This record gives sequence, structure tokens and C-alpha cells, in this order.
Amino acid sequence: MLFSESTGRKVVSTADASTVGFISGFVVDPARGRVVALTLTKTAGSASMLPFSGIAAFGVDAVTVAGADAVVEPDEKLAELDSKQHTILKKRALTTAGYEVGSVRDVEFDPADGTLVSIQLDEHTWDGKGLVGVGSYAVMLRP
Amino acid sequence: MSTLIRASELVKLPVVTHGGEDVAQIKDVVYAAHGGQIESFTLAGRGLFAGPLKTALPWGKVTGLGTAAVIIESEDDLVPLAEALATSAHDGPGRGDVLNSQVLTDQGTALGTVSDVVIGILGDPATGQADVVGYEILPAETMNKGKQRLLIPLPDTIAASGEHLIVPASASDYLTDDLAHFGSAVDAFRAQLGEKS
Repeated sequence: MLFSESTGRKVVSTADASTVGFISGFVVDPARGRVVALTLTKTAGSASMLPFSGIAAFGVDAVTVAGADAVVEPDEKLAELDSKQHTILKKRALTTAGYEVGSVRDVEFDPADGTLVSIQLDEHTWDGKGLVGVGSYAVMLRP
Repeated sequence: MSTLIRASELVKLPVVTHGGEDVAQIKDVVYAAHGGQIESFTLAGRGLFAGPLKTALPWGKVTGLGTAAVIIESEDDLVPLAEALATSAHDGPGRGDVLNSQVLTDQGTALGTVSDVVIGILGDPATGQADVVGYEILPAETMNKGKQRLLIPLPDTIAASGEHLIVPASASDYLTDDLAHFGSAVDAFRAQLGEKS
């Protein structure tokens, strides 16, 4: 599933069938090569982070969670990964050999566990396992 | 010969960690004594008003060197500047600026003055070494080449002082003005030297 096609999808609690929020972004941990959390908008409280472990199912039309309490305040690690300098989309992509290979257009991930499947650049598609790091300057990819 | 880069193209390249942070940019290249290899890079900060940094990047820590960036594992790989310079800056021959020194053949013919240094990266930069494989020279007037810059391949080891570089006379047979074909010229020249010795 692509970041672009799942952004804006609603998150529904199976406990009371209410909408908890809408997906606004993805938090990627390059060290683990996966999406570790979703950021939500239009949540009831101030908490807006949905850890991937809290997701019951990542469906085509909605993401379901067991209850509204699956949405939490980000802990320190998630907050850091969510900061602007660690966002992955639209950032320039460099290989670890020092060549620029375009910028990140989209990311495909496995909705079952959040593993990154591929990283789509302007003209190339990169294996998701090749992600080394995401920093303020660039997204680093293994050639 | 895998990659050839002019040293002047390295200057101002960002130094990027595997974490994707640009921690510095290349300020200058420090060559090992006798000008045969890169020893380290001196660094400047990123951004418009950033000055030189008190750290340097030893060549051994470079994991990738391309047209867009110099890649290192992490910011911890940078060493204090004094430490990096201590190993190369000793007295005697070999010390001094490579740029603008006169290139002489061992037969005593002046070929020109050095205007840039061509660096070749052999194999994987993490394990391979960066060798100075040639110089870009501004030809001497006697060469009748006008102002067109020429590339001259170098043997593995050369004699160099602050004023002169001595190259074998046969190096002049491999002068070229095209960086794309320069790799094969270096290989051919070194192969020929190998046959003689």
C-alpha cells in the first residue's frame, strides 16, 4: 500500500464504531525499515499518534483499532522520528556511494506489519530494505 | 579504474552521514606526502555564514564518494583537525601546495603547471584507496597547445616538492584533454611502466 493512497483514510474504533481520526502522516524508523506509527488529524483529544502495534486491521476503506485509547501521545522516540527533519517524502535521495538518485515521491509499505516494500523516486523504484537513514539533508539508500 | 573526479569538484560537496544529516562540507583536500594519495579532507560548516571547522575527515572513514556528496557513517568519524594534519605535515620534500607547481619530465622538459588534481577511486571506496591518478595542467607555451587544459597521467609514486613534480618522459605520450577517456590512458600508462620495471 502506498503512503499517498492511504493518507486521509479514516481510523475507526471497533469498540463503539466511532471515527477516531484520519491518517495525516507516517512515522518511519529507518533502523527497523518499517512504519512504526501513523499520525492522525481530527482526533478527539490532544493525542494524535497511533503506534502500528495498536492497529487491528489496515483495510482498504478504513483502518480499525480496538478502541479510542489506541491513539496515544507520542513517546520521545516517536516524537523524534516524527519531527520534520525525519520525514521521508519529497526529500532528496542519495546513495551511500554519494550519488543523487532523485527525490522521494512515494513509499510502499506492507499494511500487515508496516515493513517498507519500496521507495519510489522520480525515475527509480528502490527496494525498501535499502533504506539506511533519513536526516535533515537527505534520505540515504544503499546502492 | 572505476571513478575519476577532479579534486576541485570535491570542494564544497556536503559531507552526509548514513543518518542523512549534512554535518559539514569539504573545504580542502590534504594529500599525503609526495602527492600520491589523499590523506584527509579539511571541513567547513554548512550554510552561508559558517566558517571552517576544527575537525577533519580522514580518508579511511569515507564510505562513499560520488558527484553529490561525500558519505560517512556518523559524525563521530570526524577527528580533530590538528590530529589529521600532524601525520602529513612534516618537513622536507613533499611538503607544500601541489597546485601551481611545475611539471617536469625526467628529461628536463617542462610540460606545464598543475591546475587541478584528478583523483581515481579504485573499487569500493570503503575498502579501496583514493589515488591521485593524474593532474590537470595548464600547458607550457613550448607545448603549442594554447590555453587548453590537458590531463596527464601519473605513475603510482612520483617525486614532488613545493616547486616541481617530476614525471617520466613517457607520460607526455598519454596527455589527453578528455576526462572520460582519461581512465584508460592512466591504465595504459601504468601498464607500460609496469612492463619496464
